[in-house]
Amino acid sequence: MKNIAIRIENLHVRYKDLAAYSVKRMLFKGARNKNKSFHALKGISLDVNQGEILGIIGKNGSGKSTLLNTVGGIFAADEGKIDLGGRSVSLLSIGVGFQKNMSGRENIILSGLLLGFSESFIREKMEEIIEFSELGTFIDKPVKTYSKGMYSKLAFSITAFLETDIILIDEVLSVGDEHFKKKSSAKMKELISDENRTVLIVSHSISTLRKLCTKMLWLHDGEIKMIGDTNEVLTAYEQAN
Amino acid sequence: MNKFLADVKKYKSYMFYAAKSELKSEVANSFLNWLWWILEPLCFMGIYAFVFFFFFKGGVKHLTAFIFIGITMWEFFNKMLKCSVKLVRSNKAIVSKVYVPKYVLVLEKMALNGFKTLINFAIVILLMFIDPVTPSLHILWAIPVMASFIIFTFGVCCIFLHFGVFIEDLVNITDISLRLLFYATGIFYNIADRITGILGYVLVRVNPIAMYISSMRNCLLYGGAPYWKWLIVWTLAGILLSYMGIRLIQKNENSYVKVI
Repeated sequence: MKNIAIRIENLHVRYKDLAAYSVKRMLFKGARNKNKSFHALKGISLDVNQGEILGIIGKNGSGKSTLLNTVGGIFAADEGKIDLGGRSVSLLSIGVGFQKNMSGRENIILSGLLLGFSESFIREKMEEIIEFSELGTFIDKPVKTYSKGMYSKLAFSITAFLETDIILIDEVLSVGDEHFKKKSSAKMKELISDENRTVLIVSHSISTLRKLCTKMLWLHDGEIKMIGDTNEVLTAYEQAN
Repeated sequence: MNKFLADVKKYKSYMFYAAKSELKSEVANSFLNWLWWILEPLCFMGIYAFVFFFFFKGGVKHLTAFIFIGITMWEFFNKMLKCSVKLVRSNKAIVSKVYVPKYVLVLEKMALNGFKTLINFAIVILLMFIDPVTPSLHILWAIPVMASFIIFTFGVCCIFLHFGVFIEDLVNITDISLRLLFYATGIFYNIADRITGILGYVLVRVNPIAMYISSMRNCLLYGGAPYWKWLIVWTLAGILLSYMGIRLIQKNENSYVKVI
């Protein structure tokens, strides 16, 4: 029997009654603006097995990123629940919590600690991260002196080497110049293909999803339109659009 | 409460490392670098002492240390509250990408401002030698006063962090309220001397910041005791506020990103 890594049951996420309100609005228009309600996910239920690479596709506003953020614990579920069985999870994102006046080396520790890793583990991985980032002596210079490419290289290297059981990827598959793009793409594939790691990828690139994913979820207006074999779902999606 | 303790343990290294990084980055480009952490409070103290000694002739014993204790404690509370009310918004880059318990952000700021407060108290101790204070065991009461002050500040900051996410105007309301509280706290003068009668009594004890500052001055400078009854009252209030603040944040923190 397969090990379930992510169990999502009847998940609802709403952006309702939560908009920040000002005292002026409260005084002149009543306590809350009742029109600002948006039901982003409408009762999603699904299981993702350990080692599976689930691609998520759908139009803008279909709830893809909301689902990713909710699995990552950044958003709260309004109804339903998500069970990760105690597995560690991270949303692959660029430059979490970088202090621009600090050096790249210090920022590696800061980002790693923020992602929940211990300082000793981060220090163990430090040299690998620096080597992969190709920053050389710049690693000890303040991040504010980095070019955009260098910044992305460092950020990618941090997230690629500080691995969690479940990785959530939102359109970030390769960064930097052509050479680094190839390298980061290969590293990403290596990360994803680890059979113990569960991955959720949101992307608009059908060819990327077809190459990487073992299972596909098609979201439409916050509901599951189709889930199953990658090729079948992607073909149906292409025909519908 | 178990989750709170587990979170503090888990993110302890982050809090201290982030506070250290922020402290270093504040002075990274300056010529005098970390010396500013000492020079800045020393200069302010010099200015206040000069102004109040020559122009106001306050007649307060140990005036420089008296003012400096007031400023140090006020600045800690003032800075903490002002940053807490917009803490989630100012950390949008972090909270929208990674889950971090939001009271960890408050604790990180407390570590940062706490370090500066520690330096200021080191200067107070120096002043106690320059303008000799009669040594007394009452000085030790400064420890429970400071502990209670920290708990109270943490509780208030957690509550302001929560409501600051939902109420846009809270930043302005906080600024105005803090200005009012500043004048009602007696940073540069002794409330008990200047305002007599029931109002003076109320201002020193019912205003928690004035009570903490007056108690600290009594312990460190005048060989007296804190306002025990009120210290206990405000400690209990601080524990209650901290409990409420932690519960509020735990219940709502995953919705903050939806708002900002």
